[in-house]
Amino acid sequence: MLLFVYVFGGAISHGASSGSYLGYLLPGILLMTVASGVSYTAFRIFTDMTTGIFGRFRSMPIARSGVLWSHVLTSLVANLVSIAVVFGVAFAMGFRTGAGVAAWFAVAGILILYTLALTWVAVIPGLTAKSISGASGFSYPLIFLPFVSSAFVPTSTMPGPVRWFAENQPVTPIVDTIRHLFAGQPVSNDIWIALGWMVGILLVAFTGAMLVYRRKIS
Amino acid sequence: MTTHTLSDTGVMLGRSMRHITRSLDTIITVTIMPIGFMLLFVFVFGGAIQAGTDHYVDYLMPGILLIAIASGISYTAFRLFNDLKGGIFERFHSMPIARSSVLWGHVLTSLVSNLVSVAIIVGVGFAIGFRSPAGVAAWLAVVGILVLFTLALTWIAVIAGLSASSPDGATAFSYPIIFLPFVSSAFVPTDTMPGPVRAFAENQPVTSIVNAIRALLARQPVGHDIWIALAWCVGILVAAYAVAMVVYRRKIG
Repeated sequence: MLLFVYVFGGAISHGASSGSYLGYLLPGILLMTVASGVSYTAFRIFTDMTTGIFGRFRSMPIARSGVLWSHVLTSLVANLVSIAVVFGVAFAMGFRTGAGVAAWFAVAGILILYTLALTWVAVIPGLTAKSISGASGFSYPLIFLPFVSSAFVPTSTMPGPVRWFAENQPVTPIVDTIRHLFAGQPVSNDIWIALGWMVGILLVAFTGAMLVYRRKIS
Repeated sequence: MTTHTLSDTGVMLGRSMRHITRSLDTIITVTIMPIGFMLLFVFVFGGAIQAGTDHYVDYLMPGILLIAIASGISYTAFRLFNDLKGGIFERFHSMPIARSSVLWGHVLTSLVSNLVSVAIIVGVGFAIGFRSPAGVAAWLAVVGILVLFTLALTWIAVIAGLSASSPDGATAFSYPIIFLPFVSSAFVPTDTMPGPVRAFAENQPVTSIVNAIRALLARQPVGHDIWIALAWCVGILVAAYAVAMVVYRRKIG
């Protein structure tokens, strides 16, 4: 965020209606924060798997899914703290928004849904990885996705194939939705595309994680 | 004596080069990151960056080359560290060879491997649209600056390789050096940066080196940037060489 705002920001044309570049950039930085944060969930699950604590939990009278859900909810709390820190730094750098309470709740809801979706994706490598680097390595493509989206520059400035990819991947509608909510602008159908992506990823990842988990503990 | 030193250095260079040719993945690893940055900045950010040029790849190329060198020299530190820990230095010292040739072998290997990396990156640059009207003399001047820059950074790497206590410690020194081009004129013009950042960017070594290379490749007058660039490179080279030799003597003494 510091690099793009203070070093590159002055040279990047992001559209006059967007206000400061910091305001334009922040939604993408928040998604990158979540993407890098979920790798720790995979790491913690991998550690639990290799140390045999899962086996001990299975011998106790607790819901089997409770073990995974605790990791997922821990990820959610940890990522919300990280997001709050990033917001704090952004405010210190001059980020301001005219968004009302409802818009802020909508942003929080989107970030929670995004975190849950990515965390359930993280559960799968956490359960299946053979090494620590394998458990956390999956997150690199997730961290990279915002770079090839509307997070840093408008997609209209990109060449054909890159633009097509950027406009049709999950991060762009999520970023655009959060950006519009902060700017107090109408969110159009971006919000439904964003929700579609997040709910879809969440359901697929949750199903995949549960199948892998049952196979691992049976 | 000089002939003896040169032939010893040649033998050491051959030894280090064999390590490189047997693990070409190091050159691939070194080139992947700068090429990745080049593709990202040209094809994703390039259209939105106002750099005062029609072809952003032409503007970007000098900085990418410096990043490639900065990431490449970390392997020199790593190889030196391995030699030191493996005890091969002691074996060399028991032989009738010039002591400095052991270091120079590593340094010249770094120079050769970095020039290969630079050539690969320039090749990729041409493939994605980089063009230069520069003549032979300008290209030779660019190569000269890059050679000097590589030597300067490699002697810094030698210090890290000799004094580190772990492989991570040996290579970690390169991260600030890799980061320097980002806060320079390598990616965007310095006049678009806010006050303090601009002051730093305009007065650090990378900016003058990048500007000199960019002017040479664009066939524009280089102004006094080239002298500032050369002064930085030579200054760093002399200081790093002196310190490296002191550390080396302390290690083997």
